[in-house]
Amino acid sequence: MLFQFEGVTKTYGPVVALDNLSVTAPAGAIGLLGPNGSGKTTLIRSLLGLTRVDRGSGHVLGMDFRRRQLDIRRAVGFVPEDECLFPHVVGVEFVTYAGELVGMSTKDAMQRSHEVLDYVGLGEARYRKVESYSSGMKQRLKLASAIVHDPQLLIMDEPTNGMDPRGREDLLELARDLTHNKGMSLLFSSHLLPDVETVCDEVIVLGRGKLLTEGNIQELKQLHNRSFEVRLKADTGSFAERLKALGCGAELRDESLVVQIPEGRTQQLLWEVAAQERAQIRNLRPQRSTLEEVFLKAVEQA
Amino acid sequence: MPIFDQGYQHWKGQLSGHAWRWLAITRHGVRIGMQGRVFRAVLLVSLLPAMALATALCIWGLVERRSDLVSTIVQFLVSAQILSPGIVDDPRHYRLEIWTLCYNFFLSCELTLSMILILLVGPNLISQDLRFNALPLYLSRPLRRIDYLAGKLGVIAAFLGLAIIVPCLLSYGLGLLFSLDFSIVKDTYRLLLASVAYGVVIILSAGMLILALSSLTRNSRWVALFFLGIWIVSNIASGLLELADREQRRIAFNREMTAATPQKTPAPKTREERRRRMEVMNAAQAERLEKLEAQQTEASKSDWRPLVSYTGNLSRVGRQLLRTDACWEKLSEVQPLALRKRFLATWTGPQYPWYWSAGVLSGLFVLSAVILSFSVRSLDRLR
Repeated sequence: MLFQFEGVTKTYGPVVALDNLSVTAPAGAIGLLGPNGSGKTTLIRSLLGLTRVDRGSGHVLGMDFRRRQLDIRRAVGFVPEDECLFPHVVGVEFVTYAGELVGMSTKDAMQRSHEVLDYVGLGEARYRKVESYSSGMKQRLKLASAIVHDPQLLIMDEPTNGMDPRGREDLLELARDLTHNKGMSLLFSSHLLPDVETVCDEVIVLGRGKLLTEGNIQELKQLHNRSFEVRLKADTGSFAERLKALGCGAELRDESLVVQIPEGRTQQLLWEVAAQERAQIRNLRPQRSTLEEVFLKAVEQA
Repeated sequence: MPIFDQGYQHWKGQLSGHAWRWLAITRHGVRIGMQGRVFRAVLLVSLLPAMALATALCIWGLVERRSDLVSTIVQFLVSAQILSPGIVDDPRHYRLEIWTLCYNFFLSCELTLSMILILLVGPNLISQDLRFNALPLYLSRPLRRIDYLAGKLGVIAAFLGLAIIVPCLLSYGLGLLFSLDFSIVKDTYRLLLASVAYGVVIILSAGMLILALSSLTRNSRWVALFFLGIWIVSNIASGLLELADREQRRIAFNREMTAATPQKTPAPKTREERRRRMEVMNAAQAERLEKLEAQQTEASKSDWRPLVSYTGNLSRVGRQLLRTDACWEKLSEVQPLALRKRFLATWTGPQYPWYWSAGVLSGLFVLSAVILSFSVRSLDRLR
């Protein structure tokens, strides 16, 4: 188990950031989703013992998060959202210093920083002043400094914000490799649902400080038995009209038609209508909810 | 694509405990500080008074042993009226006083050099972390705010310790070796403790002050200017206030004296009368001067104006710790009776109670601590 919260409440004056939150997260890669002000950052700060909660109890990596904050921070690597740097150092000094702050000896930290800089792809830039790094490089540098002491849990807060597509892809690949191949647990907070989907297996959705939904992403994106995505080589409009006349739901989404078949009918109906319309079905597959739909549904239900 | 890419490897080393975590910040700060060429030069210059102190104590050790090696130097010092023959006749009797004055001179020089060192290294300590938003990086690691501040204060302590405390200890050892008389420890151990304590006072006071200033802005130049203001401007302001007060008192005294002097006296007719008149006038003038000096000395015991100077306050506390004034008093014994008062007035500093200065420094310390507690916020209060 990665962490477990029981009835945790945190307020900032009149604002309730976490509202009697109870959540259990298994080890692995976990996405943390929620609209602005949903309590994601407060949850992360509580995990790290950086903020004192009003009520509730919990454990992070088996340690009481209200009593053993420093021990928890030793076992966790944190990549903050904001652009933040130790100034006036070169890359390798930056990561070494980060290791020393966690309690590594200078020799170990220096040796390890070379390894992790190579791993995150900053090997060539290790002797450059960090102020001269691009946004993507700074983000990778923060990742290197977070994993220098080989933490059990890596927390990444909006890590791909402001990154170019290539840099974003690289960073997601690193995060995925760390969690899926190296056994490091990950809590990945992001607004970008495709990023969460790429990296994580589990997801926690928060809204107004409450748990909206949680679970395995593949399980949440359930198959719909009577809902199909259809792509045609013909006029989609008349095909949709004919389906609606037969009691089907039909909605054009991007280049596909999402069809809801009424109770008691099968997908054979689609082939029959296509034959009548002399339309050629190029693609037909059962519809699966996207993570975005899961997220929006959870938020709407709240 | 690298030929051999070993990828991510787990690390199985041991992490140290929390107690000395601040030391990593200090080490890092010292490394960064030593990168400055100007700073290194000033640090080197700050060792010159230390060499002078060590040399003086070694020479005094030889003087006590009446070594021929230093007889020329002693003769020169006596002929230049730097050393009184009375002291040279019985150097052991004045050992503590000479050592104290050497340490006092060393610490006065180091006070100024310390301010320059702080001015060069201090402004960056927190302001740059604020500018580059480094606080989340620190506080999301197993560090408390107190560790962060202790680490930053440690940077100041490391440099000032190197410039003040280490030379005090080394010079003491050298002085001891050259005197070859271990009774010196009994006589002077208090001086060693006092000089170290004074060094600690400078480190804590000036260190906390520069950290507080550094935490107020993201621009190090403003911090440096503000510190300069506190150091130089407060010194000048204090000097001007004291000068104005002395002048006022002198003018008032002169006015009083003029009013008390008989306006018309018959003009002297003979040369003898003129001579007597001059003698009387000179005696009256000397008496007036003495009276004025006594008045000034009396007034200086309750004069608040030196408190305006930051370094003046540090000096006052330092003089009290080292008991410098008591040393000057003892040394005045070898001066002719008529010159003693003048001697003491020249060499002793302001006479106001030392705890006034201690109070000002304590107040600044508390204010600095309050500023730091508000400026260096925990992540809970960061945006």
